[in-house]
Amino acid sequence: MSSHREAPEISKDPVADSTDVYAFVSPENPDTVTLIANYIPLEAPDGGPNFFEFGDGVLYAINIDNDGDGVADITYQFQFTSDITDNTTFLYNTGPITSLTSPSWNRRQTYSVTRVDHTGTHVLGTGIPCPPCNIGPLSTPDFTGLVADAITTLTPGTTVLAGQRAEGFYVDLGAVFDLGDLRPFEQDHNTFGLSGTGLGQMAAGVNSTAGVNVHSIAIQVPIKELTASGKMPTSVTAPHAVLGVWTTASRQKAHILGSSPAEDVHSGPFTQVSRLGNPLVNEVLIPMSEKDYWNMQPPSEDKQFSFTISHPELAGLLPVLYPGVFPNLATYVAGGTARADLLAILLTGIPTGVVPGFQNYTGKVQADMLRLNVAIPPTTTGASNLGLIGGDPAGFPNGRRVFDDVVTIELRAIAGVTLPLVDPSYMPDGAAGAISMGLTSGASDLTAMGTENYLSEFPYLGTPYSGFAVPAAS
Amino acid sequence: MSPSTGHEDATGGAPVSPSRRSVLRGAAGVGAVGFAAAAGVGALAAPALAADNHRTAKAEVPLTARPADAAGAPLVIYLRDGGSGELDVFSGTSHAVVRDPALVARLTAAVRPSLAAQKRG
Repeated sequence: MSSHREAPEISKDPVADSTDVYAFVSPENPDTVTLIANYIPLEAPDGGPNFFEFGDGVLYAINIDNDGDGVADITYQFQFTSDITDNTTFLYNTGPITSLTSPSWNRRQTYSVTRVDHTGTHVLGTGIPCPPCNIGPLSTPDFTGLVADAITTLTPGTTVLAGQRAEGFYVDLGAVFDLGDLRPFEQDHNTFGLSGTGLGQMAAGVNSTAGVNVHSIAIQVPIKELTASGKMPTSVTAPHAVLGVWTTASRQKAHILGSSPAEDVHSGPFTQVSRLGNPLVNEVLIPMSEKDYWNMQPPSEDKQFSFTISHPELAGLLPVLYPGVFPNLATYVAGGTARADLLAILLTGIPTGVVPGFQNYTGKVQADMLRLNVAIPPTTTGASNLGLIGGDPAGFPNGRRVFDDVVTIELRAIAGVTLPLVDPSYMPDGAAGAISMGLTSGASDLTAMGTENYLSEFPYLGTPYSGFAVPAAS
Repeated sequence: MSPSTGHEDATGGAPVSPSRRSVLRGAAGVGAVGFAAAAGVGALAAPALAADNHRTAKAEVPLTARPADAAGAPLVIYLRDGGSGELDVFSGTSHAVVRDPALVARLTAAVRPSLAAQKRG
């Protein structure tokens, strides 16, 4: 998936496992940027009585680099505290939760928000309530009302929400990890010579994340509070118009188990255990043996991974899995030339002069960050889920919107679609531009199967599926 | 989506049906990027690749939102290598390295009496 369970160790620590990060100029409030970091992969909506929640011992952060060195200049930190209001019941709630202070709500979380920047550490809010999980029509009869009450203004123009949301990322995971058997192209897969598999008939994709939830930290911030200039850039080529964004989760180094959980000791500096910038980098490009190490690294040190990223294993696999379909890619891979297009898209940004009217270049430092040019306005009509390669400069890899089909975009890029940017003599295989997860009806489809409930305004990710309506067994 | 539904190609042009390998093999250019590579190679020269395996210390978050260094916070002491004589001491969100071979020896003896006895012997 984007970054769900992408590394062996972090997959065992789901509350600290970042799944997606989004950064985009807010369509309904274009002088602000919306930043969303998702955690806790694949939440079954009916997962009670201990419904999903953030980790109290985890330091969550959304990091912004505004000068291109791959080091955070601004960090928004989030720390959560869980409370039980009734020690006598096993239930999450003992009646309908009709407000954020409902006495029927037994297990709740609050959180603090702190901005760390070059001027110091600024606590923006404490004791901010999370909404409950969406349990069902009896327990959370007005769930959207609870969410509305939980959306909190921290400072003028800065709004935050932390809580459960519907998963917005979409992928046919079962097909991808069954040896790359993309259902729309089954008939072309080599099937490893196996017969009687039932494959061979093209089929629609299956959205593996349909019907599951995540926990989101969403914050909307005035652009001028994030840029190095302290101003709203008006030119795409303006210095410091590009923000680098990534999320991290950290835990304290030492954990001693007490005789009861209340006596546990967490001690020492917070050390990073999870990070996420561009989708799929750690998931698809980094070898399994290095994935957890990658999670511990800052973006500023990503030069050490440049060889791996510029020689993607998947580019070599596609011509093998689909014989005869990617001949040009096979030749290119065999030549051993580094994929400078991928390095640009993922690690440095695209310089001025490559794509007319566009740039999101942050400099020579190779760092995996979402790169958002905040001078590019949101696309309000005719948006493409293929983002920049679909002719829509407001979408991935210019930041990332909730509906961007990042799997298709990156698969096409790895398959060679973006190679002409650096090698005009390269002719992409026809198949490269046709690769699809089969989860949308086309580039203009901004809903995706199973994720029809995107919102047009903050927090953009849809109302989480209720446990009553979407039991895990369905 | 229906398998028969065409996919819009990367050029933003007519849908491309994925229904035949011949289509997948397709005419050259179908898979080209949907924007003009105005400057091409010159503007996006391949950065020098450093395929080194340099490994750095893992990132530590320098500042934390929750002050946790209040007086009375428990100390957690970690002895990674008795031979170094160094102890990692954690308290709150702090970390200090203390070099005290004598203390290390006493701590080692306390938890490994038989080993210490062997060393003394």
